[in-house]
Amino acid sequence: MYNEHSQWLVAWLQRKLGNRSDAADLAQDTFTRIWEGARTQAIQDIRQPRAYLTIVAKRLMINYLERQSLHQAYLASLHLLPEDSVPSAETRAILLETLQELDALLGELPAKVRTAFLLSQLEGLSYEDIAGQMGISVRTVTRYMAQGFRQCLRVMLDA
Amino acid sequence: MPGVDTALLDEAVHWLTRKYASDFSAAEEAELQRWRKRSAAHERVWQCAEQLRSQMGTVPASIGMAVLARTRRRPDRRQVLRAAGLALVTPALGWLAYRNLPWQAWTADYRTATGERRSVTLADGSRIVLNTASALSARFDRETRLVRHYSGEILVETAHAGAPAALPFIVETDNGRMRALGTRFIVRMDGQDTTLSVLQGAVEITPRRSARSMVVRAGEQTRFDDTAFAPVRRLAEDADAWSQGVLYAHGMRLEDFLAELARYRPGVLQCDPGVADLRVSGAFHLDDTDRVLDLLARTLPVQVETRTRFWTRIARR
Repeated sequence: MYNEHSQWLVAWLQRKLGNRSDAADLAQDTFTRIWEGARTQAIQDIRQPRAYLTIVAKRLMINYLERQSLHQAYLASLHLLPEDSVPSAETRAILLETLQELDALLGELPAKVRTAFLLSQLEGLSYEDIAGQMGISVRTVTRYMAQGFRQCLRVMLDA
Repeated sequence: MPGVDTALLDEAVHWLTRKYASDFSAAEEAELQRWRKRSAAHERVWQCAEQLRSQMGTVPASIGMAVLARTRRRPDRRQVLRAAGLALVTPALGWLAYRNLPWQAWTADYRTATGERRSVTLADGSRIVLNTASALSARFDRETRLVRHYSGEILVETAHAGAPAALPFIVETDNGRMRALGTRFIVRMDGQDTTLSVLQGAVEITPRRSARSMVVRAGEQTRFDDTAFAPVRRLAEDADAWSQGVLYAHGMRLEDFLAELARYRPGVLQCDPGVADLRVSGAFHLDDTDRVLDLLARTLPVQVETRTRFWTRIARR
């Protein structure tokens, strides 16, 4: 399958991403992902390999674009800091990794839940303050918090 | 879900949610401590909770909020892809916006990402090439053409035809102002100071906290801070090679070479002290820094150690 379709997949990804080296990386990841999945599904049984490749590649591409958007937001956020408190290069690299891990933990939480959860965990606001700031009830905040913790724990315990 | 008991998860979520509530009491805390000791599984879940808290604790709140609570476009997946396509072709908005403004009040902001290089034409026809990780804003009015340079490195070619060319063209950094006297020059901001390299014509520098000015001529380079200038040096012939995406090295120390290369790639690029004094020569393409590193590994007794995508170290092989 790799021999037959890898060039096609790289070209397809390159059209979507407009960048050859990222496209090659993602194509590689796609095949790796499929090989890893081969335990549950025999590769030979795949009837329409290109359709299947596209589905896997698309999923990886969305993750990739998410990572890019995180990276951009991160770089922009560094500009917000006063000049004398910008962390060292080493700290920045570690910080970026931590942010990527946390972002993965928070997964697909809806925006409001995410915001409420982060206001509590990062800003240290009380549920009452969060409720006031977001214009929702304390009960809703409590529910959002439970949703946030559940999501994070699930991902962590699954790993 | 393997390994997670739903009832246990529910309980852990309940305790966590309570723990951050403002009315969480000492009695509840004691009960929580008893709860986590009930079994190894309880303890394991709670360890995860603690780990989450310590990870959150290492992130400065302002950065964390800006990054993790960023607006994301994912109402549906197709839209994400379309948005990505758009980002690749977004034109210089500043340039488009200017067409609707009278000449007297033209402003525009330009910025490049790490590894990016970009050429822009200002409203008077002057051209600026922005090197990696650079930012500037241009403000033209009836009296001056002012370019405020915030970070990175720029190559300026001032226009010298038409009415606007009669107005002074000034580049300003944190350290002071440079007035172009019909010319082509490079301004680079590094940490505490500004380096000016003049390729054609001449430029007059006035540091921010100095009454003195100095004229730098073609083929000369100088560095200045808020108050003083460094002695003028002869300019290297390839000072503007970066505007063509090339880095020339003539027996450059590896450490200096890597420091230069690091400007063009995101993340950290470290040089082991044991190889810092090796010498590098050649012309290198800045658009693919990974390839440059591969090339080093093949031509010098060094190896490239990559710990994460954003952490690379060059050490002895």
